[in-house]
Amino acid sequence: MSESKTFSLPVIGEVNRRTAIKAGAATLGLAAWAVAIKPWFEWTGELDTSDFLQKHYRELAPEELQVILNRLTDEARKETGKPVVVKDHKPIPGVSFAYALNLSICIGCRRCVEACHVENNHDRPSHQSYIRVFEMDKGGINFEKGDATYDHPVPAKDKYYMPVQCQQCENPPCVSACPIEATWQESDGIVVVDYNWCIGCRYCEAACPYHARRFNWSKPEVPPAEVNPNQSYLSNRIRPQGVIEKCTFCLHRTREGKLPACLEACPTGARVFGNVLDPDSEIRWVLDNKRVFVLKEELGTKPRFYYFFDK
Amino acid sequence: MKATGVVNYVRFLRRSLHVATDGGWVFYAWMFVLSAIALVGANAWAVQVRDGMIRTNMTDHVSWGLYIANFTFCVGLAAGGVMMVVPAYLYHDREMHDVVIIGEILAIAAIIMSTLSVVVDLGRPDRFWHLIPGIGKFNWPISMLTWDIIVLNGYLLINLHVVGYLLYTRYQGRTPNPKWYVPFVFLSIMWAISIHTVTAFLYCGLGGRPFWNTALLAPRFLASAFVSGPAFILLVMRVVRVGSDLPMQPGPARLLVQIIRVAAVVNLLMLASELFTLFYTGGAHLASARYLFFGDHGKYGLVAWIWSAIAMNLIGTALFFTPAALRRSTTRVVACVLCVVGIWIEKGMGLIIPGFIPSTLHEIVEYAPSLTEWKVTAGIWALGLLLLTAMLKVAVSVFTNRMSESESAPDSSSRAT
Amino acid sequence: MTARIVINAPRSSALLVWFAGWLMVISGAGCGRPPTGTEAVGGTLPDHEDGVQAWPVTIRKPEHPPAISMGAFDGQGRPLTIACATCHATKPPNAEARIGTPLTQFHHQMVGRHGDLSCTSCHNPAEGYASLRLADGKSVPYREVMMLCAQCHGPQYRDYQHGAHGGMTGYWDLSKGGRARNNCVDCHDAHTPKYPTVAPARGPNDRFQTGDRHE
Repeated sequence: MSESKTFSLPVIGEVNRRTAIKAGAATLGLAAWAVAIKPWFEWTGELDTSDFLQKHYRELAPEELQVILNRLTDEARKETGKPVVVKDHKPIPGVSFAYALNLSICIGCRRCVEACHVENNHDRPSHQSYIRVFEMDKGGINFEKGDATYDHPVPAKDKYYMPVQCQQCENPPCVSACPIEATWQESDGIVVVDYNWCIGCRYCEAACPYHARRFNWSKPEVPPAEVNPNQSYLSNRIRPQGVIEKCTFCLHRTREGKLPACLEACPTGARVFGNVLDPDSEIRWVLDNKRVFVLKEELGTKPRFYYFFDK
Repeated sequence: MKATGVVNYVRFLRRSLHVATDGGWVFYAWMFVLSAIALVGANAWAVQVRDGMIRTNMTDHVSWGLYIANFTFCVGLAAGGVMMVVPAYLYHDREMHDVVIIGEILAIAAIIMSTLSVVVDLGRPDRFWHLIPGIGKFNWPISMLTWDIIVLNGYLLINLHVVGYLLYTRYQGRTPNPKWYVPFVFLSIMWAISIHTVTAFLYCGLGGRPFWNTALLAPRFLASAFVSGPAFILLVMRVVRVGSDLPMQPGPARLLVQIIRVAAVVNLLMLASELFTLFYTGGAHLASARYLFFGDHGKYGLVAWIWSAIAMNLIGTALFFTPAALRRSTTRVVACVLCVVGIWIEKGMGLIIPGFIPSTLHEIVEYAPSLTEWKVTAGIWALGLLLLTAMLKVAVSVFTNRMSESESAPDSSSRAT
Repeated sequence: MTARIVINAPRSSALLVWFAGWLMVISGAGCGRPPTGTEAVGGTLPDHEDGVQAWPVTIRKPEHPPAISMGAFDGQGRPLTIACATCHATKPPNAEARIGTPLTQFHHQMVGRHGDLSCTSCHNPAEGYASLRLADGKSVPYREVMMLCAQCHGPQYRDYQHGAHGGMTGYWDLSKGGRARNNCVDCHDAHTPKYPTVAPARGPNDRFQTGDRHE
């Protein structure tokens, strides 16, 4: 039974003690709530409305995209003090990229890992990179015995080295997984992510069989002096917190005809890249003349990253 | 002066709010503690949004953790309500019909908990609108996540409608019109099966995760949902019986125990089948199970969890088979708690996490939830229990005729000792 | 031009230019051994029949034969070096000296590991070691040392020509830019060609990664 000791309050009028206490408690609760979720507003306060309302990359008109690129360029310049330019690179028609890796001459030096780290403006504290190099036992392709954390002079005896990065699959499970089409495959085969569309659910990261995707668990930290100023919307601009990213075959370079950074860094020349539709390309020669294989072929992902041995 | 329908409904909602926040000191203590935990969780989540998910212990190797584990379990909890609906409506069990609303209310709370568990797992919750079909870009029917969003929201709406309709008509003192709720009830039976099947499909369709990539995953999910759901409902029914004066017959609970008996055995059989196929064949598929049950490469993070879960499930199942479980007894409560906790562990730490360990390239990076994750999850549970309590309060008030439209006197709170 | 004779696939612009470039071009600025080259000598590029100008592929080449450093400097501060012929013009060639023999005088204690080759299998005694020679005795200038490597290491040379060995920097699309490639001897010391062991760059710094130290 409710206590019915009532008393009079201005404006509210007759109210009993129970109700008054409940009202007081509710007010305190609301105040506590406001304090509790204050950090949320510190976060949303840093976003602006145009960020929030931005459409998907594939639905942007060229002028709208240019406005966004200009804004990203300005923000990057302000943050780094460097003459950053954020461009958009569309696929070259008639080009389908493929990559091959010669396991006989890869020595596991990780220069490719380092080059990717620098070229793509990766987070420094985690020394992030899209490439992981596995030291494998000769005599098989057994990842259970593979080790990506080796720290001794390479190449070690009876080991070979297998760098793994995004395979830009022809049948990518990550693209099927994404609930909002934030990731898709472009006409030259590169699977890209719209960093301004991704909600960070990480379903694609769960779906990828090759450990190719990376999530921005925090805002990437890159010292301004080390920032690579040649940036592209879909590839190496500094990604926002809370979104997924992945190897883009350096599309900001390759869609201008250049070699990807990992290939340029490789001292032994284990990496081969090019347009598989060009019958005279180096990659075509490798695919036609070397015994190439792909990882996890049985999954039906149809990677466009091939491995081969010389003998 | 006759008020219009809308005004009546608003008054019903206001009175429901009043009833839901009124009670004895135990009730207030319970709600206060839950609110406090919910606030702690909300704060932890806000900090996580600001600082990034680095506040969790998830990594690129184990990219889903406690949040998705909890999500998986809560979906099962929601699906469990169907085990009351089927006897009540398909088999016309009169006694069950009287209490089926408890299962439907639990379904609402559980769906909200599971949806929240996903929201807190998003890296960019500020971009939620990207998910809205028509406004964002909804990758349906290809992405299983889109199916999950549809079925979970649909199930929520169905149950909200059914519960709301039944409560409101009872409040108004009139008999509910079958055409406004029976079709939805039948829909909810199919839909309940679908929510947990689709959730299982999220995982079992991924070829890169062999631990999940089994046809048996969806049936296993359903079997364990039909244990954990009814077990949780039994606990709720016990609280309602003890804490209110709603008349509760022993029949429905007994029926639920019998359902749990079957479902628990099926669940264990499926688990055994899974384990045999993994361990007998061996090979790379075994890696996750080996890490889970026995540890691998010197890492044993989940071994204690899974064996506790197995023990709890076995003991709980055994207790359910005792005659004492069919009576109103402590045995029954203990069995329920053991099964609920055991299945929470097994579905969460025993299924989601091992899917990521070893990683797709066979690296073993371990995972244990961070304090932030525990706080947020506790906050979600607290909020769910808050909603559950509030809805049950209203339902009990309505069904004990304490809250009805015809009464002009202000509602007195139900006696909640 | 040789390139045009060799190429019989008119549409293969990339390959065409690749061969043309290889034959025509220039040494980059070398570093250390083999002896540094001088600046590039530009070559004219045959236009592709479609009219697409293709960019060159430049290959570093040793400009002239190696010379022994005296450790002293001349009046202008340039290092004093001695050509091979200074001593070897007056000594009879020793066909018995093999690559494993330590050279205790004047050759900086050089010891090689390259099979069981004799020194004269590569170094041409007929020209006072101012050039190299193939197995059939044909003289090969130091600039073309790759021909010497290729005569035995055909598979690697073939791979090199097709971009599958030795690396490159520049453009995959030669209609947009050129490429630069190393010479065999840039990576493989001719006397000890085995690729050296190196310290790897830093691996990833993952949270909770304790490595896979398996038994």
